[in-house]
Amino acid sequence: MIRVGMMSFAHMHAGSYAACLGQLPQVELVGVADEDEARGRAAAGTNNTDYYDSYDNLLKQNLDGVVICSENSRHLEMTGMAAAAGVDILCEKPISTNAADAREMIDICRSAKVRLQTAFPCRFSPAVAQVREVVRGGRLGEVVAVKATNHGRMPGGWFVEPQFSGGGAIIDHTVHVADLLRWYTGAEAVEVYAESGTMFNDMNAEDAGLLTISYDNGMFATLDTSWSRPKSFPTWGDVYMEFVGTGGVASVDAFVQRLDLYSDENMTYGWSGWGSNIDIGLIRDWVDCLSSDREPSITGEDGLRALEVALAAYRSVGSGKPEPV
Amino acid sequence: MFNVAVIGAGMMGSLHAGHYDALPDSRVAAVLDVRPDAARALAEVYSATAYGDIEEMLADGSIDIVSITTPTPYHKECVLKAAAAGKHVFCEKPIATTLEDGLEMTEACRRAGVVFMVGHVLRYFPEYASAKRLIEDGAVGKVGMVRTSRGGSFPQSAGDWYADKVKSGGVTMDTLIHDFDWLRWSLGEVVRVYGKGLLERAAEHKDYALITLRFASGAVAHVEGTWMRPDGFKTSLEIAGSKGLIAFNNEDSAPIKLAFAGSDGAGVEAVPQSPLSAEDDPYRLELADFLTAIKSGGESPISGADAVEALKISLAALESITTGQPVEIRR
Repeated sequence: MIRVGMMSFAHMHAGSYAACLGQLPQVELVGVADEDEARGRAAAGTNNTDYYDSYDNLLKQNLDGVVICSENSRHLEMTGMAAAAGVDILCEKPISTNAADAREMIDICRSAKVRLQTAFPCRFSPAVAQVREVVRGGRLGEVVAVKATNHGRMPGGWFVEPQFSGGGAIIDHTVHVADLLRWYTGAEAVEVYAESGTMFNDMNAEDAGLLTISYDNGMFATLDTSWSRPKSFPTWGDVYMEFVGTGGVASVDAFVQRLDLYSDENMTYGWSGWGSNIDIGLIRDWVDCLSSDREPSITGEDGLRALEVALAAYRSVGSGKPEPV
Repeated sequence: MFNVAVIGAGMMGSLHAGHYDALPDSRVAAVLDVRPDAARALAEVYSATAYGDIEEMLADGSIDIVSITTPTPYHKECVLKAAAAGKHVFCEKPIATTLEDGLEMTEACRRAGVVFMVGHVLRYFPEYASAKRLIEDGAVGKVGMVRTSRGGSFPQSAGDWYADKVKSGGVTMDTLIHDFDWLRWSLGEVVRVYGKGLLERAAEHKDYALITLRFASGAVAHVEGTWMRPDGFKTSLEIAGSKGLIAFNNEDSAPIKLAFAGSDGAGVEAVPQSPLSAEDDPYRLELADFLTAIKSGGESPISGADAVEALKISLAALESITTGQPVEIRR
């Protein structure tokens, strides 16, 4: 059995990851540790596992891996504990709130010889993976530009408190697409220009971000990271990419496989998704990594590269100019 | 009854002529084109006089209005001469490719006391006019992030002038100026522009641009223009505000989609169609508004000054594409 623990349920994706782990027969979900006892006990109950009142006690349970879903600002601290216990890590995105912490996480794990994976589940969307093959297969010719969005609703909670999250919509919604564009094209971002603002809510973090990213192969991309979906919108948001090539155009809208649901019960219209669960792909891949000697398919460096695009965007907002990544 | 001279007997010239003919207050009296066959063919439809020389045509005192649908580089000469001859002037967008030319044309028409309107027709498209009305009604609260998209395949033209980046300015000048004008009309002045684009590849029959606009109001717009889309002409619009969101795309709202079986049984698809009543046709509305302004002695519905402001945004976008830096718009 692969023995896995969950460190913190501060990030809402923890619930889905735990449920995915529960679906895999070769995995034993050993326990949930969370300094928020009520949250930790509830999560442990939902997932039929034990609650630990300290991360150290959880890490003493002879684990093969831990999933870190704390606030972004605590990823370094959690990674340090897990690495010291010699336990492999799946860390929620963004890898950190800043590059120094992210580099330290990578170094700590390298020194401790534990494997650090960044959670980028969008790579496991069948549609996203299929369009990657189209782009890499060359039928589009030279890919010259990409138009992308990762829209959402304002998540609230610690996500809008920069001391925990590192920012707002830019840090939250840059990294998925920044990672996918590297993964698709192999190109590295070299420069970012960004406009942002707090446009839809009254709060301290930005809820709108529009990045223009230049790549080392001459390609350019824009990415709208805004939490601009109103409460009345039928779904949470989107991950959309349109690749413009000299030989054609390819687009992928990762979360549109759905039923339209019109309900008189509460006078709502909403989407009921039926697409494949991307989190199970991520978790299955990570568990496969834990059961083998291979490197993670998405490394800490991958997490850092994606984070650097977001950090360059913040610098650009500050300077009003394009900033090197 | 206004006698109209149409200069430029291409696609837009034919379109304008049809609307002038259909409107109750105007008729097509003359058609001018440097290609005699084109001038003659369009003139014949309306029993109008075909010309190849602008001086000769403008000497006809019965002509009240000159409607210019030439390639952009000829706009200035035509507008200046028509104004000097005391004709009211309608000119297709973009007004010109330089600010100096646009200002000179505007000033010449002002001095001549003629009505000068520039064809930023998007203001008369019902989807865009309705979206502006919803914004003004407060339907989405304070406008934050706006996304627009426009384009299809590389435009074909007499002399292939769109492939000349200097003459046409590519998609950023020729196509996106529609969205720039609508955005400025709806959201107010633009203060900063940043863009990426492929103007340098116009000669290869390729152009694509992604432009970011920052408005004085604080709103931001993402403007996509493409001449690299092989699957038909598409437009879309999204306006996200503090209390809601407006979304539109031309495919989803097209009431007609036709597909016919090919000879081998394979489907042969036609473009989606979105017909309007003749009186709601955006070009009809635009030219009717122009005639009303002339009759009433009123202000031009879309003035040279408006067109120059839209041109400033296109030029700033092109400058940003060239320099890699954001460009502030001053006024």
